[in-house]
Amino acid sequence: MDLPESAGLGRVHTNKIKIMEKIKANLIEHVKSNFPEVTSKDYKGNRLDLNVKKECIPSLLTYFKDMLGYIHLSHITCVDWIEEGEFELVYIVWSPVEKMKVTIKTRVEREKPVMPNIDMIWRQANTYEREFREMFGIQFKGLVGDEEFLLEDWEDMPPMRRDFDTEAYVDDTFFHRPGREDALDVREEIVKRSREEIPDFAKKYSR
Amino acid sequence: MINDKNSQKIVDIIQNWSRKHSIWVLAYGTGCGAIEIPPTMTSRYDAERMGVRGAATPRQADVLLITGYLTTKTLKRVLRVYEQMQDPKYVIGFGSCTINGGMYYDSYNTIKVLDKYLPVDVYINGCMPRPEAVLAGFGKLQELIAEGKANGAAKYKENLEWYRANQKKVIPTWQRPEYNW
Repeated sequence: MDLPESAGLGRVHTNKIKIMEKIKANLIEHVKSNFPEVTSKDYKGNRLDLNVKKECIPSLLTYFKDMLGYIHLSHITCVDWIEEGEFELVYIVWSPVEKMKVTIKTRVEREKPVMPNIDMIWRQANTYEREFREMFGIQFKGLVGDEEFLLEDWEDMPPMRRDFDTEAYVDDTFFHRPGREDALDVREEIVKRSREEIPDFAKKYSR
Repeated sequence: MINDKNSQKIVDIIQNWSRKHSIWVLAYGTGCGAIEIPPTMTSRYDAERMGVRGAATPRQADVLLITGYLTTKTLKRVLRVYEQMQDPKYVIGFGSCTINGGMYYDSYNTIKVLDKYLPVDVYINGCMPRPEAVLAGFGKLQELIAEGKANGAAKYKENLEWYRANQKKVIPTWQRPEYNW
């Protein structure tokens, strides 16, 4: 009982890291033996990235859910890589037993994107996929649900695509109250009135 | 019926006085501003001492509070609610989103200037307006009512075509009956 408290805590911590690394190595080995084309990227802590082809997504997610115990689909995100002409879909799965968060990434072409549907694996994926269909224009094979989801009577390009010109659309559709378009930096005026100075770190944010 | 002009004036004064002291607000919140309504109504700021209290349905309410940003999707519902309300009715635009779009000035999905779509009697500035500001806004509305100047509903009826044209610009598929007052 003479040991300082921090020593004990540190030991527990290093033990945890060792266990985590063991789990990770084990996981990568398991996945690579079944899906040889998967590339992995290791992160600090309980995070692991996997890059796969889009055709592998349903089988890989089923494998994670049924065999490895990653029963929770935390999130699906879509990233628009307009320069590379691709969308990236990111599936995040979580294992409550191993406390590991695995990020599965896949790429799909931007022109007429078609993805395999995974809502028979996790039912909640249906909501995400309908949102992607509306906001990015990604089609999912055999997806059930109305074409219209969050937006009503939308006729333009899917609005979350990066080549959608929001400003032009807004100027076209809505009214603006006059006085806002000049976008003056009012801080100068305020500073003059109160006889203060703008601090140096704040100057770079001025327009 | 009273035909005399002066007696009509007295009736108006009494009418406006009683209207001003019983402002019933429709329990309808859009955007994030609705979070400032509970502190305004409860014991600390106690808006009920000014006659401001909640009403359950549009037909019982006098004031429609537009608390914050209004998406085009919500605008449809708000219009339906506003047209169901009975005279006297007033609209308060609450927060900077209703004035010039606020932080959603470049959003593809929210309207920027509320008074192009609904007749607004009082605007409360701020993001968010504190309960003190909300009470000041209600005070201003009471003043306007007492002077007989809060006539947004009459303005809406007179300029219905102009309002309808603006509304139909953001709501392409118009699926509502054309009302006839």
